[in-house]
Amino acid sequence: MRRTTKIAAAAMAAMLALAGCASSDEEEPESGDSAGEGICESAEGDGPKIGLAYDVGGRGDQSFNDSAYAGLEQVVEDVDGTCEEVEANAGESDADREERLRLLAEGGFDPIIAVGFVYSPAVDTVAAEYPGQSFAVVDGYAEAKNAANLTFAANEGSFLVGVAAALKSEAKNVGFLGGVDGPLIQAFEAGYVAGVEAVDPEIEIQSVYLSQDDPVKGFENQAGGETASTGMFDNGADVIYHAAGKSGLGLFDAVEAAGEGHWAIGVDADQYLTVDEAQQPYILTSMLKRIDTSVIEYVTAFDEGEAPTGFVTYDLESEGVGYSTSGGFVDDIQDELEDYKQQIIDGEIEVPAEPK
Amino acid sequence: MSVVVQRGSVAAAAPPPEGRHTARFRLWMWFPLVLIVISATRVVTGADDISSAGTLRAALLAAIPIALAGLGGLWSERAGVVNIGLEGMMILGTLGAGYYTYHFGVWVGLLGAIAFGAVGGILHAVATVVFGVDHIVSGVAINIIAAGVASFLAEAFFKDLEGGGPTQSPGLDKPPTITIPGVADASADLAGRDWFLLSDLAALVNALTENLSVFTLLALALVFGTGWLLWRTSFGLRLRACGESPTAAETLGVNVYRYKFLAVVASGMLSGVAGAYLTVVASSGYQNGSTGGRGFIGLAAMIFGNWRPGGLLTGSLLFGYTDAARLRSGGESVHALLLIVCVGLLAAAIWQLKKRSFVMATASLGIAGLGLLWYFSTDVIPGDFTEMAPYVTTLLVLALFSQRLRMPAADGLRYRRGEAG
Repeated sequence: MRRTTKIAAAAMAAMLALAGCASSDEEEPESGDSAGEGICESAEGDGPKIGLAYDVGGRGDQSFNDSAYAGLEQVVEDVDGTCEEVEANAGESDADREERLRLLAEGGFDPIIAVGFVYSPAVDTVAAEYPGQSFAVVDGYAEAKNAANLTFAANEGSFLVGVAAALKSEAKNVGFLGGVDGPLIQAFEAGYVAGVEAVDPEIEIQSVYLSQDDPVKGFENQAGGETASTGMFDNGADVIYHAAGKSGLGLFDAVEAAGEGHWAIGVDADQYLTVDEAQQPYILTSMLKRIDTSVIEYVTAFDEGEAPTGFVTYDLESEGVGYSTSGGFVDDIQDELEDYKQQIIDGEIEVPAEPK
Repeated sequence: MSVVVQRGSVAAAAPPPEGRHTARFRLWMWFPLVLIVISATRVVTGADDISSAGTLRAALLAAIPIALAGLGGLWSERAGVVNIGLEGMMILGTLGAGYYTYHFGVWVGLLGAIAFGAVGGILHAVATVVFGVDHIVSGVAINIIAAGVASFLAEAFFKDLEGGGPTQSPGLDKPPTITIPGVADASADLAGRDWFLLSDLAALVNALTENLSVFTLLALALVFGTGWLLWRTSFGLRLRACGESPTAAETLGVNVYRYKFLAVVASGMLSGVAGAYLTVVASSGYQNGSTGGRGFIGLAAMIFGNWRPGGLLTGSLLFGYTDAARLRSGGESVHALLLIVCVGLLAAAIWQLKKRSFVMATASLGIAGLGLLWYFSTDVIPGDFTEMAPYVTTLLVLALFSQRLRMPAADGLRYRRGEAG
């Protein structure tokens, strides 16, 4: 017994030593910190002073924040302006967000762009306090007179990837993986279903939502995403489209495990470019939400003295949504996709935004 | 005073041997019964996915992190320290696994996760054992600190890596998997034939012989190893004595502080393993918030399992199974499970009647009746309810079958040396 205690003590000491190296290693990446090496450090024009407030994750998230930054990078040079970026923290309140926007407004930044719908109430409050400045919220629902909501016709982009899924499905069985079951994600599903049915109404469509109302279980649940996706593959699907944020990474794990003959469709950004090399052969396409385009167009309009207000929707026609072609897996069906795209732009096809 | 203490310690430290045997006997007796019930339900309802190899594999993946966290709770609480900080220690484990696996591979990653989890354990041990802080207060603090530290360090660790970001690591290597060639193929073939009982059994064999992660084996070894260590060695007897009656243990010459400290640190290490499993096996990289409350569910599974390894494994599997079933074929599978629950409730009602516990019997009967009405009037269960299924099932089973739970007698109490008699 005494010996057991000794062994246990030795094990603990070994572990403490390990913990020690952990803390010494921790300092390493901090010294090589490259944050802040952005366009805003070098830009020195006398055009508009653009303020950009990120959502949680910030620059480097390989998703919508990065997309917003890409737009900023380009438009700052276009309008010869300067800019300032501010980061958000997890679990903060509207008051924190208001404070951040107020800081930008106080610093004379105009226009101020907030990334993510969570900013809407904060923008309403702050925009009313600074009526002379222009505000914009990506995906927002703000109501202030000097605020614009940059929204996207996700259903139209989803329609096109639905067409791609239907054309590529040999099992005549496709799937949809949604994050949180609500109007926002239902628009993706509705467009996707309409696209699949436009090609072949006989195709079976499976649909799974990871959660009814919990964003963590819906959008940050990679393990759950993989389980649900594997379930749909096991039930016969060979193409799955996700609109589930980071849970969608679980879909990519599942499609790699399912192997040859199975496809995954990404969302928001061109996910072919960010997944592991081993997973790239399975990423058929991605539904693109061009936040960069929306930022560029908004700032350009502002620079010309006509900043939009209210709801501005970026759709297929304005290239605000679309599909990606990286990997070349949709090259053989691109004519058909372009054909459908033209029909939507011409108004011949009306894409629903709510499920039937 | 001393007489009372001693009597308590005798009863606790040496449970009557036949009690343990009947408990074990029962656990094994339940297994074929559950298999028969599920198989029968599959045949009757046609919900093929409820016992497919895929579902069982997903159930195992969902259950193991919960079981490991619960096992951490078991170590700590058996030594008399309530550990509500399991969630936080698990978060630290996911971070350690993410960092070390990326740089040095899965095995060092596992050690890193254990080390990070142990840091949480040491913190809790120092607060509760050394300074006598209230166990709940310390645990809650650890949960909050861990979440903050993890999101801060994640940004420092992963921001500049290719494929990583401020809230997630790049994709990580997976631990090796085991496939037993002949058995896996044969069982997959048999599982696909939809035979009563045989196919279900084959699906179970297939889930255990095809692409089984070595981490899963390791986790199961930890569960059974804990059972052996805490119940079959004198080290374990002393550790449990600290949770039942630390003053009695002290009078017998046990260094209670040392045992409690060790147990709480082990608790952190096991939570770290749970985090590693979640990071490299259940998903393919570190992500902020990936634990999603699994530490708390592990704590519930441990209570459900009456502070015993076999019980907490059963509880975790029950939760993992219902969660996997609802994620895979949501409405259909949960609809079939509803039938099982109703039949189970009817059986419970009869059992309660025999025990002349009329209130419980009526309640069970009432719920079963409503459930059956629901079952026969619908074909699928709507999403709002499938999401609740794992929680409702666990709650129901807890309410019906776990009415004789007994926590360690001195669990959660502050212990100071020299206060005996």
